[in-house]
Amino acid sequence: MLAELIETIAKIMFIFGVNMGFFTPILGWVERKQSAVMQDRVGANRADIFGFRVIGLLHILADAIKVLTKEDFVPAGANKFFHTLAPFISLTPALVTFAVIPFGGQYEIFGHKVNLVIADLDIGILFIFAFASLATYGTVLAGWSSNNNWSFLGGMRASAQMLSYEVAMGLSIIGVIMVYSSLKLTEIGAMQAEFFRWGIFLQPVGFILFLTCAIAENKRAPFDIPEAESEIVAGYFTEYSSMKFVMFWMGEFLEIVTISGIITTLFFGAWHIPFVSNEMLLSIFGFAGPDGANILTMLINIATFFVKIIFFIWLQMTIRWTLPRFRYDQIMKLGWKILLPLALINIFITGLVLLVK
Amino acid sequence: MSYELNYTIGSIPLEKLKPKKVRKNIELTLWERLYIPEIVRGMIITTRHFVQNMAGFIFPPNGKKRRVFTVYYPEEKLTIPIAYRGRPVLVMREDGTERCVACGLCESICPAFAISIVGGERRRENEMERYPVTYTLDMSRCVYCGFCEEVCPKEAIAMSDEYEELAERDRNRMIYPKEKLLVSEKRLKNRIDYVRKIYSKNNYNAK
Repeated sequence: MLAELIETIAKIMFIFGVNMGFFTPILGWVERKQSAVMQDRVGANRADIFGFRVIGLLHILADAIKVLTKEDFVPAGANKFFHTLAPFISLTPALVTFAVIPFGGQYEIFGHKVNLVIADLDIGILFIFAFASLATYGTVLAGWSSNNNWSFLGGMRASAQMLSYEVAMGLSIIGVIMVYSSLKLTEIGAMQAEFFRWGIFLQPVGFILFLTCAIAENKRAPFDIPEAESEIVAGYFTEYSSMKFVMFWMGEFLEIVTISGIITTLFFGAWHIPFVSNEMLLSIFGFAGPDGANILTMLINIATFFVKIIFFIWLQMTIRWTLPRFRYDQIMKLGWKILLPLALINIFITGLVLLVK
Repeated sequence: MSYELNYTIGSIPLEKLKPKKVRKNIELTLWERLYIPEIVRGMIITTRHFVQNMAGFIFPPNGKKRRVFTVYYPEEKLTIPIAYRGRPVLVMREDGTERCVACGLCESICPAFAISIVGGERRRENEMERYPVTYTLDMSRCVYCGFCEEVCPKEAIAMSDEYEELAERDRNRMIYPKEKLLVSEKRLKNRIDYVRKIYSKNNYNAK
């Protein structure tokens, strides 16, 4: 009982620490620096402490100080309660959804069975979708409660876009669920031990559909019409400043991490290394005794999982800085007329193949 | 009409300089309407730039600090081309007097009315000569057009290559008296030669 409690708390601390302590601040730097390198620029590198610049990493610190000391402004006529509530609603789902994503397999350490997922729910993937849709409320509330026309337009666009893409995103996953016949993310992950059983080989169309819909759900370019700077100032967070403004950004960055985690788990073999099974790792680390071998395997698996996550973060950043923004009608057309039928056809063909086999 | 295509522009043969075909029809082909291949193509281009620049940051190419051409401004500075028009300065002879004879041409040509001169006379090497008693240049009005330099018959005013620290928080400090404007002949030699060339001033100065 006590061991389980300690294990759960340790896992929560680990995921929370990695997400809030590493990914969220570092992604702000990555976004600036990667866009700069892609566009033949240098990027932010001016903040320094005693002349040490550390390739612009100190901008994270400078930003934090700036944001924390800025005035927290609530516009006149705004609904103060909802105006304050909105950033929390959009940040929390991004934090919570990582609870069901497994970042490693199951290991026997000192006679105790360690399952590297915070909450091993039977409905894992449904939980993610349920909470991801809650983020819509944060956006819509932010747009509505700001008492600003631009914010209102952004909120309306966000609600339309996010609801439309939710449908296609849900349907794009059905194929994967049918193939692995499980909603449990740990089981889906465990079934991808063999390289050619990875989701990308079984569901390539599903992967592309899910990636597209996930980026649209996250409201990043090329689907960033809710915040479209050139059209409606900053969209739904026009009237936000200081920490509340940053909470929207943190939510966005965390969602990038979560999307990468889901993609890794569903399509790219979760914590498995291609052509290297866990049995092989255990026999290689046999010199450290059974417990030591298990711990080393666990660490290798966690590292593999996060390397894959980092790759998909890079991919999403590349997409964001390569493609220009879609027009509003194009987004609606893409969501309803292309992605939704494609998802349905994908489900139909998957079903046929499963039936024939 | 026929003529031989045997000349080149630079080192590139003319055949290669033919204009690229411009697609006037906006109708997309089927391949482009599939969308995914074109997106992948675009991402390959940006990824290529990313990889090349990352490699350029870590292993800089020969003789450079990095592959990206950005100049880190306060630490690194570009060499200013000779045609650059910076802060206008008065040319100072080696004995510390100014070449200016206070004829007032620059004062009257100045489109921004930035120059004001009070002329006078003095004795130099047993000859009487005119000189500016005060020569005031209002840098808050100067538009850096270079007309004063073009019109000056004595090559006494020149646009230098200085462009830094010209902004002030107080307008009074932007009014430059004669003492702040004087710069020695040696430093301005290149610019004066250049001005002579472009405005054909040696026609007037030929001996």
